[in-house]
Amino acid sequence: MKAALIGAGQIARQHLGCLEGLPEVEVVGVCDLSPAAAQCAAERHRVPRWFTDHRQMLSELRPEVVHVTTPAPTHFRLAQDALQAGAHVVVEKPATATLEELETLLALAESRGRSLIEDYNYLFNRGPLEMRRRVDSGELGEVVHVEVTICLSIVGTEGFADPNAAHPALALRGGAIADFLPHLASMAHHFVGPHRRVRTSWTKRSRSVLPHDEFRAIVEAEHGTASLAFSGSAQPDAFWVRLYGTRMQATANLFETRVTVDGLRPGPKPLRPFLNGLVEARDVGRAAFETLLRKFKGGPGGYEGLYELLERSYRAFTRNRPPPVSLAQVREVNALVDALKPPVVDLPRTARTGSSA
Amino acid sequence: MRALVTGAGGFLGRHVVAVLRARKVTVRALLRPTARLEALGWSDEVEVFRGDLRASQDLEHAFEDVDVLVHLAAAVSGGEDAQFASTVVGTERLLEAMVHTGCRRVVLASSFSVYDWSAIEGVLDEDSPLEPVPALYQRDGYSIAKSWQERLVREACAAHGWDLTVLRPGFIWGRDHADLAALGLKVGPVRVVIAPLARMPMTHVENCADLFALATVDPRARGETFNVVDGHGERIWDFTGEYQRRTGERSARIPVPYRLAHSVVSLAFESVFRRNPKLPQILIPCRLESRLKPLRYTGRRARERLGWTPPLDLATCLRRTFEPLAPGPEA
Repeated sequence: MKAALIGAGQIARQHLGCLEGLPEVEVVGVCDLSPAAAQCAAERHRVPRWFTDHRQMLSELRPEVVHVTTPAPTHFRLAQDALQAGAHVVVEKPATATLEELETLLALAESRGRSLIEDYNYLFNRGPLEMRRRVDSGELGEVVHVEVTICLSIVGTEGFADPNAAHPALALRGGAIADFLPHLASMAHHFVGPHRRVRTSWTKRSRSVLPHDEFRAIVEAEHGTASLAFSGSAQPDAFWVRLYGTRMQATANLFETRVTVDGLRPGPKPLRPFLNGLVEARDVGRAAFETLLRKFKGGPGGYEGLYELLERSYRAFTRNRPPPVSLAQVREVNALVDALKPPVVDLPRTARTGSSA
Repeated sequence: MRALVTGAGGFLGRHVVAVLRARKVTVRALLRPTARLEALGWSDEVEVFRGDLRASQDLEHAFEDVDVLVHLAAAVSGGEDAQFASTVVGTERLLEAMVHTGCRRVVLASSFSVYDWSAIEGVLDEDSPLEPVPALYQRDGYSIAKSWQERLVREACAAHGWDLTVLRPGFIWGRDHADLAALGLKVGPVRVVIAPLARMPMTHVENCADLFALATVDPRARGETFNVVDGHGERIWDFTGEYQRRTGERSARIPVPYRLAHSVVSLAFESVFRRNPKLPQILIPCRLESRLKPLRYTGRRARERLGWTPPLDLATCLRRTFEPLAPGPEA
């Protein structure tokens, strides 16, 4: 399949790195407003053509799949153009800045019979895949609750909180944290389904240009509940997912390879904590080595989920099968993202709470 | 003459501003919006233009009545993509702004990192080959960004008929910047010194700034490329010892011959690590070479064409780097 990228920054390099290894994919063009960035990406990944005008690229190359890997506020216009050009679209998260824009894209994708895949890469990391397997096999029992917490230092003077060059994500409602809401929301949706009610808390701890750097939410959903959190100050960096079932609890740190389980087991009840502890110690030790080896062996590293998602997506495109992320899923996840966002009027430094259905 | 100096608040930039002022050049310093002006100790004669090459929309105004752009700005930290965005895309935006102005001369701070260290044997000079594509993309983010920056500036100057002087400094050192990357890995109580007998292409920041100022004002520099090194450079083992003695660092030095280190790293890179580009710098052969390969360096071209020799000798540089600052009038 002929693929093209719009946006040649950091995440584009991960997409290109993955696509290089997919035999059914030919990346025919890459586009960026910066000629140097576009040319550099093309040189580096042996892409034959580079552009600074995405419409020119779409009309000249007629790609079958377009990856939109630009800053979030530009996604809507670019994805819209790509869908109108007849391509499937893989768009980085957040797919759009507003629900209205998302509905426009979904309607366009539906009318053209094309996929709109928002990058929920962490759903395809080994941790969530293993959790899903245990849910589907019945080992975990019924899902009761999922906790998803991202700890990521975003309050330093580089990146999101750079006081000299405003990060594009700051244009989103919720600022930098809004960039991570699709990860939290897609994980919650994956395990407990579409949301019914949401309560949120948006606060600010640091002295930075960010409107908020702490976020908490309680979500009531069709199949259970979820508590979601983002902390810009809690360290070390981690992406914790903890799934509570009626027979087992499973925990993963998606920035590493760690997956541990704590379950009901046969035998004397007093021994259960001891046996579970032994199993957990074994799994943590194994994951520590795997995480270290992953750094030395190369490959996707922390982007393993993106590689898996793209591989599954192209397999679906080429075989005309349902994609790994459906339009309905994108619609429901973004409905939750929208419900999680802070009220339109922000009052920095003041804790805000809200609820919505 | 009025010079627009980018990166003016940086380690090299502060010294370049001072030497340009001493040469009676009017300096317009491009400073990031949040940079603290008081810390720089400049007189009112230095014009300050607040902006960020990555974001500012009014860069054209920075060029008003400017005769020469002294482009020092580059990211020296952060991830590979952040360095590219800052150094390369920032330069791209700066050059686009310059097109619409009357400024027609550029003095660029490039780097020794643009050379093809794997191919060069013996002497590294201005005629040595540059890192080619695609091998460039095995190098670290700083090298990729600096190579692209020089490439962009050369292309823009050729396209618009601008005069260009490129200066490629080696390791720039000085006060608070003496723990150079070549001084080895400090692990607890030991410092592993790889390639102890290799010389480092070093230039003290004040010497380096002096050549930048001379290249800015001297018409003989137009169209030239100069490596900036103070003499032949110091041996890594000797300078590490000097560094430890003067800073009071007590770690034991463990020497590892370059050939041994390079052989082991190369073997492991091809076999165990399967050419993984995300390894630590020292475990990737071309990056090891660019830091530590034993070569000889010369500042002959600057001496022959501009009559320049470093104004400060090593002893003076060491003193200015390590000895306590004399108390200022406010002390």
